[in-house]
Amino acid sequence: MNAPATSSSPARSERETILAVEDLGIELVRGAERRAILDGVSFAVPERGLIGIIGESGSGKTVLGRALTGWVPEPLRQTRGSVAVAGRKLSQLTNEELRQLRGRTVGYIGSDPGTSFDPTLPIGVQIAQKLRAVVPHTGWAAAKKRVLDLLDQVRIPSAARRFDEYPYQFSGGMLQRAAIVDALVAQPKILICDNITQPLDVTIAAQIVRLLRGLERDLATAIVFFTSSVPVAKELIDDLIILDKGRIIERGPKDRVIARPAEAHTRRLIDSSPRIWGKDVDVPRNTTAAALPSDVLLSVEDVVKTYRVPDRTRFSGTLEVKAVRGVTLDIRAGENVGLVGESGCGKSTLSRLLSWIETPDRGHIRFQGKDMAGLRGKELLAMRRKFQLLLQDPYNCLPPHLSVAKTIRTSLDIHGVKRAEARERARAVMHEVGLKDDDAERLPIGMSAGQRQRVNIARALVLEPTLLILDETLSSLDPAEQSRLIDLFERLQAKHGLTYLVISHDLALVRKVCSRVAVMYLGKIVENAGNARIFDNPGNPYTRALLSAVPVLDKGPFNPAECLVDGEPPSPINVPKGCSFATRCPKAADLCRSSEPLFSTSEQNRNGVACHFPYH
Amino acid sequence: MTDMTASALTPPRASTRGLSPAARLWRETWGQREFRFGLILILTLIAASILVPLVTGIDPAKMQIKDKYLPPVFLPGGTWAHILGTDHLGRDLFVRSLIGLQYALGISFTTVILMFLFGSMVGLVSGYFGKVVDALLMRLTDAQLSIPLIILAITLLTVSRPTVPLIIFVLAVSGWPVYARVARGVTLSERNKEYVRAAQILGASHWRIILTMIAPNILPPIAFVAVLDLARMMIFEAILGFMSIGVQPPTPTFGNIIADGRKYLINAWWIATMPGGFLLLALLSINLMGASLERARNKLFSGQI
Repeated sequence: MNAPATSSSPARSERETILAVEDLGIELVRGAERRAILDGVSFAVPERGLIGIIGESGSGKTVLGRALTGWVPEPLRQTRGSVAVAGRKLSQLTNEELRQLRGRTVGYIGSDPGTSFDPTLPIGVQIAQKLRAVVPHTGWAAAKKRVLDLLDQVRIPSAARRFDEYPYQFSGGMLQRAAIVDALVAQPKILICDNITQPLDVTIAAQIVRLLRGLERDLATAIVFFTSSVPVAKELIDDLIILDKGRIIERGPKDRVIARPAEAHTRRLIDSSPRIWGKDVDVPRNTTAAALPSDVLLSVEDVVKTYRVPDRTRFSGTLEVKAVRGVTLDIRAGENVGLVGESGCGKSTLSRLLSWIETPDRGHIRFQGKDMAGLRGKELLAMRRKFQLLLQDPYNCLPPHLSVAKTIRTSLDIHGVKRAEARERARAVMHEVGLKDDDAERLPIGMSAGQRQRVNIARALVLEPTLLILDETLSSLDPAEQSRLIDLFERLQAKHGLTYLVISHDLALVRKVCSRVAVMYLGKIVENAGNARIFDNPGNPYTRALLSAVPVLDKGPFNPAECLVDGEPPSPINVPKGCSFATRCPKAADLCRSSEPLFSTSEQNRNGVACHFPYH
Repeated sequence: MTDMTASALTPPRASTRGLSPAARLWRETWGQREFRFGLILILTLIAASILVPLVTGIDPAKMQIKDKYLPPVFLPGGTWAHILGTDHLGRDLFVRSLIGLQYALGISFTTVILMFLFGSMVGLVSGYFGKVVDALLMRLTDAQLSIPLIILAITLLTVSRPTVPLIIFVLAVSGWPVYARVARGVTLSERNKEYVRAAQILGASHWRIILTMIAPNILPPIAFVAVLDLARMMIFEAILGFMSIGVQPPTPTFGNIIADGRKYLINAWWIATMPGGFLLLALLSINLMGASLERARNKLFSGQI
């Protein structure tokens, strides 16, 4: 049984098949409701093979990934077909045999590393324990040595120290690496990666992809890589399978699939994946709006925010987390400003300051010329209407006990709009964002991420704001839903004259919608320029590093090998002396380590680079 | 949906689409047999406890020494005149138990509602505002927790006359700290959730957030625990009555019926047993209703209805 996906190179089909999925059908059975999740899925993976399965969210990726480990939990039911690992059909194995198989033959890495570790045990200890559980007669010393070796191999710095640290001490990227170690520790024959790069920053995701590519060579492991992003799959994998609504609609070598997709859906998937450079990239028309004089809507002036956290290493005392270290930024009416940077760079703190749910320690935030610090009570409430922040997480940002219509009405209620009028306006705004009347009485629980995000937009929009701050609003959605929402945002902007501040680590999104981009690193803006300038000729090496990490289908102008940075940003508790990027910068000189570069402004608060050697 | 079978097969969500969440919750609750059974039982008990003494006109305090130790009607020697028999003074146990039930229900419900409201309010405020407010309120709670119920009850109820409001006060005062603690704990984790931040961004005031955002999410699970406390409070009320610092004779209460009957447990076991029987029925019905409501709520918030 040679599926086309695996017979692309003759050398591969000679190898033994390690994973064979035949005509797999899984249904969701809840009461009288029956819905097909997977419908006749067949494919095979040879030993040490590498296969990528691409699908939008809701296409059945996660269910398929779990079914490959023999995990089909209620209310799902396997109705036909089989999954065979190393020739053994999973549905015929006992629980005990499945348990053995999961640890030793199949490794699984989920998309959320935060919940896959026990928070009460050190990372290394739990991985070593797992190894000893699945491979009997492993001594503690041997297990520890193996874990340390692997931690080294996934390039976790000072592995011996990290071995004894708890999950909360790991950052997202480091946890994902530890999850990879956890899956690899018993030398499985197959590694299943379910959307593992999605929650990570681009720079970290690029590191993980590079890492996996290295591991595939070093370890004798077959990898099944599930992702919703075509460029990520392209970076890593040769053979692609496209999954849509539980069916395999297309498969083949990546170059053929991407260049000449046979199915319309595949083409849509490819078209909706981010493009940054190239001829057919759509950039905002008003890229040159910088030249147009328009009113400054929001002006941020040298804003500083420092948090004090207790120092756990001492009996008493506090540490200062310098989250925002002096940000200056102007947003003019009608222009879309992007704020980009890795997680931990202070983007979210800045968004909290801008939405005035926290106040800055120093500096001023002026909205339409009025200093926010001077406003109280009614005046402040009236001002709040005009700028709204859309939060990142569509799952938690809606009150779980309120129906959609009530959630939207609450916004108006807060601002004292009468009941009957509120009802009417809520209905109108629901139509505007693409929600149906049917959805009015639904609770958030049954809704998809995209729908929830629409509710979230609706409840901000109903207040008729002038500035919308999008704090990673689109980053948890898959590309297709993302592009639908971008269209919605464009429509709303044309209709209501909104201004957007897009806070994101997704550079492709920023390229698409923002006319001006500010790059943030460790609590400071290191570069601020128009869209074209930032993407085609960035001044700061950090901007270049960020750009080179973005997975794109076409070749980018920046060579990752040259620009990509290693490691993670330093902690905002110990900000390095001199240029804060000097610790990771490939071009750092002595000057960078001793003195901090000033923000060179060619125009007030607008174009500028904070670097000693810009455009170098 | 052409016939009965087809409509039975459609998922429940389709049939309830368009109804508000509250209406769906009620529909699901009412659809459970246990809930209807519990509701009918508790309504019958309440109606009986009010109507029977009125209709039969039997005075619960009236003694008829010649009729003492009459067994219930279902035992040999029982009569229909005293369905549940009589006690050592020949007083009718049916009417006495029903009046005892009135007091037990009245006192336990009022107490639980009071301590639930007060306790969770303290917990919500303390958890939401944190810092100094939290420290002050929680130390107050600790102080209250350190005073045992029985000591408090003996002190207060022996110093002044044990009236119904005072008994309610004593029970509620000793019960609220638990609610404050639990509510504070959940509020602490709830207030950091994104939807609370979203409400702040919309400009909602602190009180609006506490009352309309956090409270509806955290209080129902606590309320289901409070249902269990109803039983505890009924028993405490009986304990107070038993120690004769509860509602005073001649008013019959569960506590003093049991206190009277304990001396005759061997020859007239039914005297001390009757209050227990009514207690059982009342708690059974309340728990059935509470459990059905909780099941329906879980279904609603897991997206099944």
